[in-house]
Amino acid sequence: MTDPATLEFRAVCKRYADGPLVLRDLSLEVPAGEICVLVGPSGCGKTTAMRMVNRMVDITSGDILIGGRSVRDGDAAKLRRDIGYVIQQVGLFPHQTIAGNVAAVPKLLGWDRRRIAARVDELLELVGLDPEELRGRYPAQLSGGQRQRVGVARALAVDPPLMLMDEPFGAIDPISRERLQDEFLRLQAQLRRTVVFVTHDIDEAIKMGDRIAVMKAGGVLAQYATPAELLSAPADAFVADFVGADRALKRLSLLRVRDVELAPPAPTPDAPVIAGDRTVRDALSILLEAGVRQAPVVAQDTVVGMLSVDAVSRMLAEGDVTTQRAAAGS
Amino acid sequence: MIAQLEIHQRGGDDSCVAANGFCPGWIADNLDRYLHPFWQHVYLSVVAVAAGFVIAFALAVLAHRRRWLVGPIIGVTGVLYTLPSIAVFFLLQPITGRGPLTALIALTAYTLLILFRNIVTGFDNVPADAVDAARGIGFTDRQVLWRVELPLAMQEIVAGLRIAATTTVGLATLAFFAGAGGLGGEIFADITFKSNVVVAGVLCLMLAIVFDVLLLTVQRVALPWQRAHTGGPRARRLWREARVMD
Repeated sequence: MTDPATLEFRAVCKRYADGPLVLRDLSLEVPAGEICVLVGPSGCGKTTAMRMVNRMVDITSGDILIGGRSVRDGDAAKLRRDIGYVIQQVGLFPHQTIAGNVAAVPKLLGWDRRRIAARVDELLELVGLDPEELRGRYPAQLSGGQRQRVGVARALAVDPPLMLMDEPFGAIDPISRERLQDEFLRLQAQLRRTVVFVTHDIDEAIKMGDRIAVMKAGGVLAQYATPAELLSAPADAFVADFVGADRALKRLSLLRVRDVELAPPAPTPDAPVIAGDRTVRDALSILLEAGVRQAPVVAQDTVVGMLSVDAVSRMLAEGDVTTQRAAAGS
Repeated sequence: MIAQLEIHQRGGDDSCVAANGFCPGWIADNLDRYLHPFWQHVYLSVVAVAAGFVIAFALAVLAHRRRWLVGPIIGVTGVLYTLPSIAVFFLLQPITGRGPLTALIALTAYTLLILFRNIVTGFDNVPADAVDAARGIGFTDRQVLWRVELPLAMQEIVAGLRIAATTTVGLATLAFFAGAGGLGGEIFADITFKSNVVVAGVLCLMLAIVFDVLLLTVQRVALPWQRAHTGGPRARRLWREARVMD
């Protein structure tokens, strides 16, 4: 497997013809193997920024480096073959079978037939599709969720060190979207690619991102931080407003009950039992709904402690939720 | 006197032939005299449509990258399309002489408008997301054209070829005015004789139908993914659309 690459934006600007800047001095660094989410309202330049990485959009000034090398060097088509590319409308080729679609880049690179066939089956299985059943079908015969999985498989075909994803789950119904998000995170835990992920949905950003770049109109970077930092310490009023008035609750959804310091077990008749792998946000909801101040937390069939509404409230006030993101992610 | 001569050339002397009637016996005996004009007709139609396609395709590829060219090209090919064909045959004769070349130039010119428009429409209807994805994963412009845009434009392109082929078979009946022979020559040589007109006319019609069926077959074999869409109903709809366009 190729190693993931670091990605660096260096004072990148974009201007179309004589228009205003659509991207202003964007500088940020994505460590290798992390998901960087670009999020913001429409017109904030997030898609433009992403598309400059593989030169689908030309850079006006500044530079973008992948693994230390400028994207401006060399041939654009060659650069793009080493970068996974997933878009919202998926963009599968309607005239090619699923196998043909997934094999698009390997075919460009001249892999032999047997190696391509093996890789196609491997990739379809990786994204949770049955190769036997689907490899000979055409995109029109698949559901939206299946098509998007094929899109991801196509992007992963040559194991690129960097992936670009432009609202990849935006056109999918909420239930399937959640499943695809979970599956992609599982895939990412296994493959550890460097990913640039564009979305306008802050909840998706918080869920998917190791780091989030919040952008505002005019292509200005408002804040670049981990999800926990973003929620506990928004850089300005725009970010605070964008992450929402419920940002305290969003912070709680980053954290699992088993990772929280619990009070010693105590008898509580009538209280519901909370599973340790729930998010603290879900646990709080359970407590409030049951009308109790505290409830026992269960992990592996034993009560490991008590979670109380007061403890959650104290945690938020003290701000120590932010430090526990790493534990929650595992 | 002239009528006497024609009847003599017809090579039959029964009363049916003399009465300019529809004579199955005469047709059976004289079918071979249509063979040569028939193949001339095939040659003229095939070469004209093929040449027209090559030119129209090149123009469409050019205009695909430079949109402003579409208007002027449609204008020029439109003017060519409206010129009366017989006038063109006679206008060209001082330059290219009498013979197939003159006829082919005119027939080719008539196919350009239909073919160009259909190819451009085909390119325009290629899903933008497929092209964006192709470029984004590393297809060069040329690879995008041949591997993505052309196959996806095929449906409209073949539809255009079908119209061009049928109209060219019809127009080629006038090619004898340019000295290029064809079935039209036979029709006009003895236009009063029903048997002659029917045989030559039916051959023209058959030729048009054969071309159409051939192209339809190409379309169905080359575009399996079209049928994958929804199966039968889609294919039947294509038929109907194509009929209407003819």
